Amino acid sequence: MNVSEFRTGLRAWLEDNDLTPGPDGSLAGQVEQLGRVRRALFDAGWMRYGWPEHVGGLGGPAVLRAVLGEEIASRELAPPNFYALIEVLVPTMIDYARPELAAEMVPRLLGGAEQWCQGFSEPGSGSDLASLSTKAEQRGDTWVVNGQKVWTSLAQFAQRCVLLTRTGPGHGGITAFFLDMDTPGITVRPILAMHGEEEFCEVFFDDVVIPADRMLGKVGDGWAVAGSVLPFERSTSFWHRINHLYARFDHLLAEAIDPDEAALGATYLGLHTARCRSHGTQLRFGEGLPLGPETSVDKVLLGTSEQHLYDAVRELLPGAVELADSQWRPEYLYSRAATIYGGSSEIQRNIIARRLLGLGKE
Amino acid sequence: MDAAERDLLGQSLRKIMTSTVAGPALDGELAELGWPELLAELPEVAVPLVFGLLGETGTVASVLNDVVLAAAGQEIGGTPSLPYAGGRWLVWARDVEPPAGAGVESTGPTGAFAVLDPALPLRQVDAGEPLTEVALAAGRRALGWWLVGSGRAMLTLAREHALARAQFGKPIASFQAVRHKLAETLVALDGAEATLLLASDDFSSLLAKAAAGQAALTAAKHCQQVLAGIGYTTEHDLHRHIERVLVLDGLLGSTKELTKQIGATLRRDRVAPRYAHLL
Ligand SMILES: Cc1cc2nc3c(=O)[nH]c(=O)nc-3n(C[C@H](O)[C@H](O)[C@H](O)COP(=O)(O)OP(=O)(O)OC[C@H]3O[C@@H](n4cnc5c(N)ncnc54)[C@H](O)[C@@H]3O)c2cc1C
Repeated sequence: MNVSEFRTGLRAWLEDNDLTPGPDGSLAGQVEQLGRVRRALFDAGWMRYGWPEHVGGLGGPAVLRAVLGEEIASRELAPPNFYALIEVLVPTMIDYARPELAAEMVPRLLGGAEQWCQGFSEPGSGSDLASLSTKAEQRGDTWVVNGQKVWTSLAQFAQRCVLLTRTGPGHGGITAFFLDMDTPGITVRPILAMHGEEEFCEVFFDDVVIPADRMLGKVGDGWAVAGSVLPFERSTSFWHRINHLYARFDHLLAEAIDPDEAALGATYLGLHTARCRSHGTQLRFGEGLPLGPETSVDKVLLGTSEQHLYDAVRELLPGAVELADSQWRPEYLYSRAATIYGGSSEIQRNIIARRLLGLGKE
Repeated sequence: MDAAERDLLGQSLRKIMTSTVAGPALDGELAELGWPELLAELPEVAVPLVFGLLGETGTVASVLNDVVLAAAGQEIGGTPSLPYAGGRWLVWARDVEPPAGAGVESTGPTGAFAVLDPALPLRQVDAGEPLTEVALAAGRRALGWWLVGSGRAMLTLAREHALARAQFGKPIASFQAVRHKLAETLVALDGAEATLLLASDDFSSLLAKAAAGQAALTAAKHCQQVLAGIGYTTEHDLHRHIERVLVLDGLLGSTKELTKQIGATLRRDRVAPRYAHLL
């Protein structure tokens, strides 16, 4: 299946199958909509393209996933960040889980039967992720986990978690697990985020027992596991997000009260720049070329242009963010996190300075 | 033309540009290398290479005239009138020797040059013949490559300086404020280059010129700050690039004007065009 066949078929299918979200815009409603969209797309096969057969996929190039994301985002059928979580969770399973485990679990996520979360950040370890301290200790053929994660998106809805733990000193002392969230000893406390939803949670681990065969990779592979999602986060997942922002920009164009052409032009120019840059990355990804630190440029452009878009929303739709109960308010607020999650903009600039400009150490 | 041939062409161009005096002599060398044929047959290769290198090497040739004329379907070699920011008109004179030590004098002997960057033989004229949209788009793409090339030249100078210059007992490249300014410069330049690579029709060429102008102005600002005192002198090369991008930004529409024009088009059409498709 090539891109144009895929796109044509998918568009025709979306014409016939209405996946428009219902009126419930709450977090629970969004999560339900996400499940509905994944289920329908999986059953019809679209969600399976671009993933290998051994995890329930139908094969084909990964760029098909970017095209699917684009078509979903352009129609605003699913919340973009949650939809894109598959891009950071599934590749990890493919590369690091036991093949039987990946084959059993991945279809549940892709098919909308389950939600999964990513337990990386901790109270003491945000940007400096490698300093994480949630401990895993071997006990027979199990591992026992104690500690705390934080900012874990969707943990209260999740059946599974990709968890990073400390099993020894340094970068080589981090180990990843695939954990069932109903394991005894796990406490999930949702946190009300600024945009009014319980977007993420604190997750506490009190003698949580994980079977050894749930380890992702080997002992000490955790840092590599964490890094392995980068190419996917920065390609397919970004493409989805950019197309979402274009869809929202079209709404701004339709609704703008203040006809400030300079602001509209600058906003669009930022989106266009991020899109063109990401397009080049998609092509390199599609050719199987490795993606590395140069994708930090994509990340800065995307985060910056997203905030620029919502700054324009607030300025050109006076009151829409502050006074009205519209979708713009949570979106505006959520855009403030675009330069924080997934490695803050400062961390990206550090990477650019060190690795792309060769400026040596700080 | 494959990648190896393109590299070879790039090397020849760079050699000419770094060893030939700017102006008519360089025009002549470029013609000898086959510029007219390249422009006619392979503009998508020739224009990014030639104009990017004009920026990177800091030299000057009058080839923008050719790009605009060729796109308009006219014979190259003439001097079409070119719109400049603020509704002004300029002519890019050929056969004008740049003043020796360009940048030192603010009004060259001919009095014909752009005041800020005397190495650019731009003469103001009272009125001009509007360019066709196609010619304008081609000129904007070419200038976009030039602006990004100049931006890269500034970034190279600032990077070298940051590594060489020590204060408080360490290279200033170790200070995060300095590192982040240079990182932001690279982000802007790489972003602008991506828009240039995808510029095809009138509107996307306009977008690319605006992105390139903005990136070059960002580079000028950050690199000047990093080079500080030495960068403020005429003894260091930075000022030439800064003056160049300030002038080139206004040619065929400034970043500010183009950005407004983008907004006006979007407001009229009420839908944001999507360029860059996955095929
Ligand atoms: C909406 C949202 C969803 C999230 N979802 C998840 C999730 O599902 N799973 C998960 O594991 N995590 C998640 N996170 C956490 C996210 O990854 C972290 O917030 C991020 O890594 C930053 O860590 P921190 O918040 O502790 O900030 P800190 O690391 O404490 O940083 C604070 C400030 O200092 C700056 N800073 C830190 N170090 C440096 C440095 N070396 N140089 C320059 N500046 C520096 C930062 O840029 C930032 O501005 C989410 C966060 C948000 C906002």
